Amino acid sequence: MKTQIAILSMFLIFVLAAPSNVYAQSQLQNYFSDIATKVKATENPVEKRQILNDSFLNMSKALDKIQNSGLISENDRMDFLHLKITLQENQNELAGLNGYERVSDTQLNNFSNYVVQSMEQADQTITISLIAAILILILIVLIV
Amino acid sequence: MLINYIRFIISTKYSLLLRGTGCVVLALFLCSCGANLPLQNKTLQEDKDLSATKYSIIFFIHGDGNYAYHDNNGNELNADEVTLENAIKVAEQNPNAEVFIFHQKPRMHFLFFFPLRDGEFYYYRNGKLIANETYWRDKEISNFDLEAEVYNSLKVNNNQKMINVFLYFGHEIPEYGGTDYDESYPDRAFTVHDLASVMKLFANNFSKFDLTVLSTCYGGTPFTIGKLGRFSKTIVASPDNLHLSYFDFHLMARLDINLQDGDVPAFAKRFAQKAFNKLTNDVQTTVSVVVYDVDRVQNYLHSINKVYDQTLNYLKEETQISMTKIEHCDCADIPAYKLPEMNEGIEVFFRSARFGRLKNKQKHSGWECWKYESLNEQPKN
Repeated sequence: MKTQIAILSMFLIFVLAAPSNVYAQSQLQNYFSDIATKVKATENPVEKRQILNDSFLNMSKALDKIQNSGLISENDRMDFLHLKITLQENQNELAGLNGYERVSDTQLNNFSNYVVQSMEQADQTITISLIAAILILILIVLIV
Repeated sequence: MLINYIRFIISTKYSLLLRGTGCVVLALFLCSCGANLPLQNKTLQEDKDLSATKYSIIFFIHGDGNYAYHDNNGNELNADEVTLENAIKVAEQNPNAEVFIFHQKPRMHFLFFFPLRDGEFYYYRNGKLIANETYWRDKEISNFDLEAEVYNSLKVNNNQKMINVFLYFGHEIPEYGGTDYDESYPDRAFTVHDLASVMKLFANNFSKFDLTVLSTCYGGTPFTIGKLGRFSKTIVASPDNLHLSYFDFHLMARLDINLQDGDVPAFAKRFAQKAFNKLTNDVQTTVSVVVYDVDRVQNYLHSINKVYDQTLNYLKEETQISMTKIEHCDCADIPAYKLPEMNEGIEVFFRSARFGRLKNKQKHSGWECWKYESLNEQPKN
């Protein structure tokens, strides 16, 4: 089903030639939304914590690899930096590091929503390019 | 003979196919290069019951960017599409209002070559759809003459004092710079100044809107309220971040009941309270909704105008060399802005984010400012 949706999305992008950065950004949001769905579907708080932590780590690793590859533009580099700082802050709060109060077991579902919603604010958006977003998603799949 | 006949059939078929394709391409090309008419009268309906119209509402919905968000069940939604759907419901449920909806969509091309219209407007009068057309907004500078022309050509003029409301939904509107606001037109700038110009064009006949709702992040800055306050008596805005699910505006439906007494400031407070309740229930991020009584905040705005302008001028110069860390913050965190009159004329509804560094912040002044830190110098404000 997911493959069909992906193929259909690519087809629509080709036929209607939509702006690609919008698509790229929503793919990253979808990644964290899927993580939130997994967290909520899991009963055990230890597993919930593990899912969240792995998602932050995998995304950070993927960003590092792409940054070091030299395949991205200067604009993407700045947005990557911003995204990496946010991921690190989330990771610290989850574990209670660097001055953060540790997220309690009962709040993990809400925290997973917070991670998604903090990327969905009506502020000036991060505009990661389509190529960079695709590279991130491919690398996350390879890392996992 | 038979071979010649088959060749004839094939060549005829190909010829027809080629001609057909050519016609389609030509038609698409002509459609895409059509005249830039604001109104083609295709859908214009007659409605003679103009005296019943007491309220005039304008929805400006920006959708040319990333407006995707997820609800708590993981369903992906588009903020501009959800807002459009709700705006249409408001329009249909208002028996005494005219409602203009302008939807700014991403520029798209059919088969990469044929541009599609990237603006659409709807006009409802007393609950009935009067006009719905698409238009081009592919201009080099932010210019809303076309929308204003549509508005002025359709707006009811029934010699009654109408209550005028303006609502804007979109990403944070920059106070300076402003390029990249439209995903499809990255070189075109859109700033608070441009939005104020739009409001000026629309408010031509009545000088000031009774109510403006700014559904964006960081709308409650002294600069933004000062600029938009020239064309509005009351403003509802979010000084801090705002989730893309935006302010709930169901209270705009049935204004004949919800605003029966004509008390717009009281209505604005009920609107803000309802929007706040809905957001605090749905999101874990910061929620801030503030009602600004424009006349009563002038004292504060005049007191801090000079220092705010100095900050903006500094930021305009500094961002050119990217050596400054710039952030939004509560004006109350900066001594120069923390004046006794800062609480006058505002009603603040605030809840901090449930997580993050500021989760224990108890209150917000209702005003958002800039703080910046030069990487070469001491921190400045």
